[in-house]
Amino acid sequence: MSAIAARLRPSRHSARVLGYMTLPVGLLICFFVAPLIVLADKSFRFELIAEKTGFTLDNYTRIFGNHLYVHILLQTIEIATIAMAVELLIAFPLAYILAFKAGKFEIPLLLALVLADELNPMVRIYAWRMLLGKEGLINTTLETLGIINHPINALLFSRFSVILVLVTGSIVFASIPIYASMKAVDRRLFEAARDLGASWFQIFRKILLPLVAPGVFISIALVFIPFFTEFATPGLVGGRSGYMIGNTIAEQISATGEFGGGTAMSLVLLAAAGVFSLIAYSVTRMKSLGTAA
Amino acid sequence: MSATANPIEGGQTAVPAPSPRRRKGLSKRNGARASNAASVSIIAFIMLLLFGPLILLAIFSFNSSTIISLPFEAFTTHWYKAALEDPGARSSIEHSVVVALIVAAFCMVLGTMSAIGITRSRFKLRGAAAGLHGATLVVPSLIIGVAAVMFFVQLRIELSLTTLTLMHIVVTFPLVTAIVAAGLVRFEKAPEEAAIDLGASQWQMVRYVMLPQIAPSLAAAGLYAFFESFNSFELSFFTGGYEQTFPVWVYALLKHGDNLPLINAAATFIAAIQVAIVIGGWFLVKKLLHRQSTDTNLSDMILGSR
Repeated sequence: MSAIAARLRPSRHSARVLGYMTLPVGLLICFFVAPLIVLADKSFRFELIAEKTGFTLDNYTRIFGNHLYVHILLQTIEIATIAMAVELLIAFPLAYILAFKAGKFEIPLLLALVLADELNPMVRIYAWRMLLGKEGLINTTLETLGIINHPINALLFSRFSVILVLVTGSIVFASIPIYASMKAVDRRLFEAARDLGASWFQIFRKILLPLVAPGVFISIALVFIPFFTEFATPGLVGGRSGYMIGNTIAEQISATGEFGGGTAMSLVLLAAAGVFSLIAYSVTRMKSLGTAA
Repeated sequence: MSATANPIEGGQTAVPAPSPRRRKGLSKRNGARASNAASVSIIAFIMLLLFGPLILLAIFSFNSSTIISLPFEAFTTHWYKAALEDPGARSSIEHSVVVALIVAAFCMVLGTMSAIGITRSRFKLRGAAAGLHGATLVVPSLIIGVAAVMFFVQLRIELSLTTLTLMHIVVTFPLVTAIVAAGLVRFEKAPEEAAIDLGASQWQMVRYVMLPQIAPSLAAAGLYAFFESFNSFELSFFTGGYEQTFPVWVYALLKHGDNLPLINAAATFIAAIQVAIVIGGWFLVKKLLHRQSTDTNLSDMILGSR
């Protein structure tokens, strides 16, 4: 019986695998891979109104030749980078406290963070807008108290508001990977270093940072790429100085129907995201291999 | 991290002597207190950033004034009634809830299927299949949204809640795959093989051996899938056509400059329901874990899902 079973197994096995994987993988190919191929294809074709067919780099030369688009792209890079830096300044201490200091508050705090993460981002953006606006809660309160005479305009529809809302919207996402890698650190290393006379900065620089570097890279990959493509936040609290590339794409696709420029920009962003993820992935792997050895 | 976290005196040149040792112990205690105070204030600051605006939003949703500012005029539930009667608010909330429920159900099935396929088999393209699942989680939803619009336009399929739901399922089920696969790799294959050898059908094996083991992960994954869909803005914005989900409705209203107290009420209502679901889900997962009496840590589950 076992000989027959052994011979039967491979075919039964592959039939089972086929049964489990066909539908999910098929769906991904039809509705994830195929749309991306259509997107790439569209970006290399003439606009419909051009009444020309065939492949062209027209869309790409048009974006990179236009000062306005280049300016928006640079502004996007600036905003996303500042927001990411601020995010790490918040997420790192948060992860540290959760992993090493919270004690019995660790699980309740984690629950609170998960809760914050699952709340609707649009509700959060709206709440900030209500607070920061010209007639918002902060300005009216300060005016009633007599601290300021005129509302502070820069609170809303500025770079500040975009960065604030972006940062507060991703705190959880940024801190959880760092927290996870900190949980894996052997705390006796700190004690050993301390006993050998290391300063807190030396412990941080030589022990903690190298060991949690993979977590930091994962958190950057998880947060930085979405910052680049965000358009709800800059659209609702950004104004002109907080305008980002995502807004341009959204407007081109949904309002003007100029698919060429929008698809080309999307593909540029996709390529950038891909390269960035690969770098983050390989750095993380290298780091974790290095620390494992 | 605060400077006072690990106050170490001396450094390499420290000469061990009896009196500095006492001083060291003292300053260590003071330092610990200072670092605790720093920890508490950092946590308080972050919680204020995360929840402060939402709490104020909730408070002012009961204010009778149409402008959100102090002083608080009078308590009213008028805006809640107005929101419930508003056709835009009602239909968008209904759309969001129905879509998220459908998405969560489909994702739990599809995610479990591919998780079993990926963890319990050795076929050549396994790595590629896992990578394909991972890619959906890395590609920004703005780009998936734009690609989906191009795709459906190309096929001359009109955008509607159906296309929106389909796209939500496609980008969300890999999340379930990741969570369930993380759960599956923890368990041994032996009982599953034993069940098959003893004559159980494939379905019986999955139903009676696998499912009880992965129930907590699956419940958590279902919750995540629900919220992933419910909170999705970018993908819904592009693929929904003229049919709006809740985030798209809020966006459209705000885009036209309306800071309506109506949105206060609707947003608070949504936030309250979400808080209830998260807390309920937490206890459900905890209970499932307890019944299973494994040593799986709850914090592990949260990490596994990210």
